[in-house]
Amino acid sequence: MVFELKEGIFVLDELKNVSIKIGKVIEEEEEWTEPIGPTPMPGILELRNWDRKLMERYEPFYAPMSDYCNLCTMGPCDLSQNKKGACGIDLKTTKARLVTIACCIGAAAHTAHARHLLNHIIEEYGEDTPIDLGPNINVEAPNIRLICGIKPKTLGDLRAALDWAESEIVKVLHSTHIGNEEDYIDYESKAMHVSMADHVGMEVADIAQMVAYNLPKAEPDTPLVDTGFGIVDRTKPVIVVVGHNVMYARPVADYLEEQGLIDQFEIAGLCCTAHDMVRYNAKAKIFGPIYYQLRVIRAGLPDVIISDEQCIRADLLSACKSMGIPLIATSDAACRGLPNRNDDPVDEIIKDILSGKTPGVFLDDGEKLAEVAVKVAQEIFKRKQKKELFLTDEELKEEVSKCTQCMNCVFTCPHNLRIDQGMKAGQDGDYSKLSALEEVCIACGKCEQVCPKNIRIINVIMKTGYNSLVSKTGRTRVGRGPIQDTEIRNVGQPIVFGQIPGVIAAVGCINYPDVMQDIRDILEEFLKRRYIVVTSGCHAMDIGMLKDEDGQTLYEKYPGNFDAGCLVNTGSCVSNSHIAGAVIKIANIFAMRPLRGNYEEIADYTLNRVGAVGFSWGPYSHKAASIATGFNRLGVPVVVGPHGTKYRRAYIGKLWKSEKWWVYDIKSRQKVHIEPAPDVLIAAVETKEEAIVQLARLCIRPNDTSQGRQIKLTHYLELSQKYLGALPDDWHLYVRSEADLPLKMKDSLLKILEEEHGWKIDWDKKKIVEGAIRHFDAGFNPTIVEAVYEKYTKK
Amino acid sequence: MASEKVSKGEKYPPPKRFQVADIQVAREATAVKPEVVAKMLNKAKNPVLVTGKFLLREPELVDIAVKFYEKGIPIIATGGSSKPLIEKGVKPLSVVYTLHQITQYMLDPDWKGFNGTAYDTVVYLGFTPYYLSRMLSAMKHFSKITTISIDEFYHPHARFSFTNLTKDKELHYEMLRKVVEGLEERK
Repeated sequence: MVFELKEGIFVLDELKNVSIKIGKVIEEEEEWTEPIGPTPMPGILELRNWDRKLMERYEPFYAPMSDYCNLCTMGPCDLSQNKKGACGIDLKTTKARLVTIACCIGAAAHTAHARHLLNHIIEEYGEDTPIDLGPNINVEAPNIRLICGIKPKTLGDLRAALDWAESEIVKVLHSTHIGNEEDYIDYESKAMHVSMADHVGMEVADIAQMVAYNLPKAEPDTPLVDTGFGIVDRTKPVIVVVGHNVMYARPVADYLEEQGLIDQFEIAGLCCTAHDMVRYNAKAKIFGPIYYQLRVIRAGLPDVIISDEQCIRADLLSACKSMGIPLIATSDAACRGLPNRNDDPVDEIIKDILSGKTPGVFLDDGEKLAEVAVKVAQEIFKRKQKKELFLTDEELKEEVSKCTQCMNCVFTCPHNLRIDQGMKAGQDGDYSKLSALEEVCIACGKCEQVCPKNIRIINVIMKTGYNSLVSKTGRTRVGRGPIQDTEIRNVGQPIVFGQIPGVIAAVGCINYPDVMQDIRDILEEFLKRRYIVVTSGCHAMDIGMLKDEDGQTLYEKYPGNFDAGCLVNTGSCVSNSHIAGAVIKIANIFAMRPLRGNYEEIADYTLNRVGAVGFSWGPYSHKAASIATGFNRLGVPVVVGPHGTKYRRAYIGKLWKSEKWWVYDIKSRQKVHIEPAPDVLIAAVETKEEAIVQLARLCIRPNDTSQGRQIKLTHYLELSQKYLGALPDDWHLYVRSEADLPLKMKDSLLKILEEEHGWKIDWDKKKIVEGAIRHFDAGFNPTIVEAVYEKYTKK
Repeated sequence: MASEKVSKGEKYPPPKRFQVADIQVAREATAVKPEVVAKMLNKAKNPVLVTGKFLLREPELVDIAVKFYEKGIPIIATGGSSKPLIEKGVKPLSVVYTLHQITQYMLDPDWKGFNGTAYDTVVYLGFTPYYLSRMLSAMKHFSKITTISIDEFYHPHARFSFTNLTKDKELHYEMLRKVVEGLEERK
């Protein structure tokens, strides 16, 4: 007879011949007295009503990339004009399904990364290793507490959160199989669900690596590290790490330190591994984002490349081979066709690489990998002949002369860059047009494949734009991880009341619609206006490359605190969870709203009160889709650059539908019509000018105090006049009383309200008598969730 | 309409998708001459011009848009294109909404536009091709409004589009001027 005790209190008395199997000992959680909320570890259905509320207001918008579906063998099916395919699915639902799949991929990437890292770390450090994120953090896993309803104290405790996330990802992925959902709103709900799980996966990954690898723990003044194409000392061997999982790059730094070689080598990273590498060892450097891969490889800068996972070019091996750079693949997610050499002796592996017998190897044994990488880099460096980067002058001339301006390149370029015009001018001896392309080119290489003359177009662009490329070398403040509880205490009230006009979070990948400088201009506009600016991932490293006329990057100009007029780099992709975490902590620490399994209430709080807006100027990964959608479910709107339209789906409210813009006011116990704030959950902008104005606009929240609204409107109106040449069309919708009006413009705005919008103004008192959607009420307490309304009106 | 399509042997280049991978099954835009665009706009009950980013870079496009406005076609300005237009005396219907938002509004048959009447014909000028393409795709599948792109890249998702004029900027401007010449003054 076997008893299996899963969880609970049991009394066993006078039992004989009984063996007892204990699954897991649950310790009594004395210090977490917070009652468990309504949705701990929610399934697909638990938050469906919340999603449908959001979708009711922010209607999904679909912009298909293709008219047809060919995911099953009944097709392909022409779904144009919203026709149905052989399985019965229509175009809108197909697109919602595709977005759900993209979010599943994104969530799976972070969550598998987290699982891999956590298992490895637990094996190395033990499951009882305490989670200690420094003295200023008591709410150390806000996403996990909120979503899973657990408070992890040790690394081992993180497993339960991951178990939940993995299970939900599989369930949502299941729903995308043929013959499941037929309602696009239900797919959107699932996309939101799996994206919420993504934030749990990200949080587990970053907490695990912060604890185990002693990464910075919320300190605002982390070191500044060299960033950009021109960072490496070419008199030293260069080891380049690329991807998103620092687990494999870390042993290389350790090995070099142990051998006393760290100063004789350069370690530089591409994409988020670079962020985590410099968080681990600030002697490492950041080359740049994902689109710098071919720049760095074609220049022949690396002596060895170590790849891990996510956002790595799928032709990395052939790109490395063509430049004679050995590649070591380390992640089972991206083996790259290379032989697994974990069981072979180090010398044999090195010999095979250096002899050219193999262009690279798969190695995930950290110690072996480190030794192989260092020794191979050393030898390749010795052999390397000094060559001009990209092309010699003669080669450049020859390549350019081959162009016939057929324009195949232009019609395949993601930006439709006018390579033809650059080549034409180059043939006349003017390379300035080609050089100008360097800023926007993502070095994808599609142009080279369609060029009938086999021109090495990337090399041509990089050679002519070399000065521009090298000049973009600066310093990035190392990712600090989470936001301190004390910082939240200081800024919680001014954010919720509106005195700090907003939090702008610039995150995700980079595929700029225009010059790189725009990202700096956009963020500096808000820093100067004392918004809080947060960044991570590729955005965070690009702004580390851009210097002003004094040679300073934004990191050198603005402090790293989570405060007005400051710039916080949280770190890599997985550090995005700390940005969501900061939003959640505002509701918890400042407003004392319970977190534990209480997602809907916190998301509702955020939507109505926290003026935070996500911004991704050039998103392209699937992970960016799930990160953004996760923020949307949490009530945070997101602005994306024009490439973001290729995610196919947006959530955009309709201003004229007044019936959609309402809340329950807990104070007056009435349903109240409100201003459309925010009126968008995710939408794309086309230009820098538009981005700036939209970001300011989307910081407005129904709960703003008069002072807060006045500050937010002041910025919104000023920015609209500066960049759009006029007052915004909708400013009057956000005016509740004369106290909301920007002081300097008060009289003229009152006049416009009277003359153009028909409002009644008492000119003696300079007061608005009639016209506003609603009047300001200091005790206004908005929610769109019935359960929250009932909870607080019962008191 | 068929006889007014752009055909081989004319001075206009053939329509080639702005992006070769943007493959469509159902319907590709009819490549049209400027005279046809003008005729369609003259026949339209409530047309509107939507302007985008390239008005910030090409003064020629601003001049064309101003002429549309002077002929009585109102302008929805997006992407900051309002600024140069306002400087030339145009009063756009809106300045702050993105093309993404405007498209969402247009997809809703209940939307009465900014001037109280739903638009039946929308002309697009000065947009980033890949951005406009997605918006035109949404309009193609989920709206009955006639869409016309008069940008330099051929847009397969539009109902009507200029052919590719990317090789010859002057030809593009000439075609735009022809559209303006053909426009009748609207009351």
